Amino acid sequence: MSLSESARAASASESRFRIDVPIAPARAARVIALDDRAVTVARRLAERPWAHARFYTAAGIRDTDGLLHGLNGGISPLEEALTGTDVVVVLATEDGGRAAAAAIGRICRQRSITTAGVVLGDGFEADDAVAALRPYARVLLLTADESDAFELLTALRV
Amino acid sequence: MLRKDINELLTQTGPGTPMGELFRQYWVPALLAEELPENDCPPVRVKLLSERMVAFRDSEGRYGLVDEFCAHRGASLWFGRNEGAGLRCPYHGWKYDITGQCIEVPSEADNSSFCQNVQLTSYPLVKLGDVLWTYMGDTATQPPLPEFEWVHVPDEQTYTSKRWQQSNWLQAFEGGIDSSHVTFLHSGGLKSDPLFKGAKGNEYNMKDTKPFFEVADSDGGLFVGARRNAEEGTYYWRITPWVMPAFTMVPPRGDHPVHGHFWVPIDDENCWTYSFDYHPVRALTDTERQAMIDGHGVHTRTIPGTYRPVANMDNDYLIDREAQKRGDTYSGVAGIAMQDASLQESMGPIVDRSKERLVPADSGIIKARQKLRKAAIALRDEGVTPPGVNPEHHRVRSAAVVLPQAESFLDSCRDAVKVNPGVSQTSV
Repeated sequence: MSLSESARAASASESRFRIDVPIAPARAARVIALDDRAVTVARRLAERPWAHARFYTAAGIRDTDGLLHGLNGGISPLEEALTGTDVVVVLATEDGGRAAAAAIGRICRQRSITTAGVVLGDGFEADDAVAALRPYARVLLLTADESDAFELLTALRV
Repeated sequence: MLRKDINELLTQTGPGTPMGELFRQYWVPALLAEELPENDCPPVRVKLLSERMVAFRDSEGRYGLVDEFCAHRGASLWFGRNEGAGLRCPYHGWKYDITGQCIEVPSEADNSSFCQNVQLTSYPLVKLGDVLWTYMGDTATQPPLPEFEWVHVPDEQTYTSKRWQQSNWLQAFEGGIDSSHVTFLHSGGLKSDPLFKGAKGNEYNMKDTKPFFEVADSDGGLFVGARRNAEEGTYYWRITPWVMPAFTMVPPRGDHPVHGHFWVPIDDENCWTYSFDYHPVRALTDTERQAMIDGHGVHTRTIPGTYRPVANMDNDYLIDREAQKRGDTYSGVAGIAMQDASLQESMGPIVDRSKERLVPADSGIIKARQKLRKAAIALRDEGVTPPGVNPEHHRVRSAAVVLPQAESFLDSCRDAVKVNPGVSQTSV
């Protein structure tokens, strides 16, 4: 009996003929830490080799006119720092970054930038930050495992 | 995206592999109880985690799961005679009990002690609900029996089926925590499937096709909350629990029975999908049970005498392009289960995850892979018992709920996602 098209196409031998080209990083990501502990995590992440990701801290930002501090130096207005990006990953560990979270979320929504929030810790210390991010973040990852942030960025090929 | 070495770690479950050893920490479904319907019935071939075995039910109703091959010359005990409280190889008459202990070697002298030194590998086989469960790990670390609600409610409240899936277990499992595909792939079923249709929650599903997700650790694995807009100022949440390594539940719809899955590796290129429906507080109606038998909901029509789906890769899943064009089905494949399986099998036996382009909405999958990898390595390197072994971790439920926008699904649904005997599921 001859194989159906689906059976033949799904076989291990046919997988050899899949087009195999390098996958270029497709995301221009901004990673923004909202509080001091999140900045520590972001610094560790920033040491890894990323394609286009840029890392900032938003500590002290209260509205969309605020300034982001680049982890490698430099200051950018929030609006400017988010220009040209298609995904923003926000890191939070406590409620201190609530206003910044809301400001970032509002801009991302206006510009159709996909937003993801990684909330590190037991979740209770960052309730307000989570609530502020919830309306905007396509995904909120609530985790005690710092390496989840690295896994997320890796999976997104940033 | 996963590196090749991590993909191999997560997809290889044979003896001695990290994931294989992880699976061997848990009780897993081995076969359906209906496959061994009476004492001394024919034995059944069982392949799990790349090990070949036979299951049998002896003259006293005890279940056994032993190495498939006779210790004498390696003949398959599937041909064995199940009689007199043991399984006898028909080649030369060697006989084994349910523990794999050889109890008779006819060619030896009467009263010879030879057979006492012949022991087939065996694993415990225990009936809970419609399922026979086995534990394939070290007897010293055998955990208590599973406490999943679906196998502990009365028989009239539960139904379980299984089907063979021609892909690695991880491909199948990942579909269980991937809520964002439902609005597309299963959109036809929300309108027409007798085990899905009519729920208020379906309207929210269909109106808001771009859900937001929240992923949070649980003691045994994860909760994945998918959020859609509901009435002004509220969100419709669908909460999917995952208990490691491979148990997931689908959030309920109205008063329909609650369903879910357990994915069990057969070998690295095949798996069993166990699909169940149960209602926590009432018997399934005759109509519901018949719909399940007929392959509706999460179940599948299988080729009689087998657990292979009628629609399978050898017949192109009976794809119906006209039904697709009409909108009866989104992909042209009928049935929720085969809509999933057809696409998961199309990826190939073991998909190359280094080629993926994941998006933030895939965070549940990203996190689950991470948890599996870490648990497998912690077990291998430090002997750490993984999440999901403790039966307390099994006492979870899925839930569907409408909440004010400011509320956290985790805070608001703490009771809803726990088993509460005698209390109905939380559903919309």
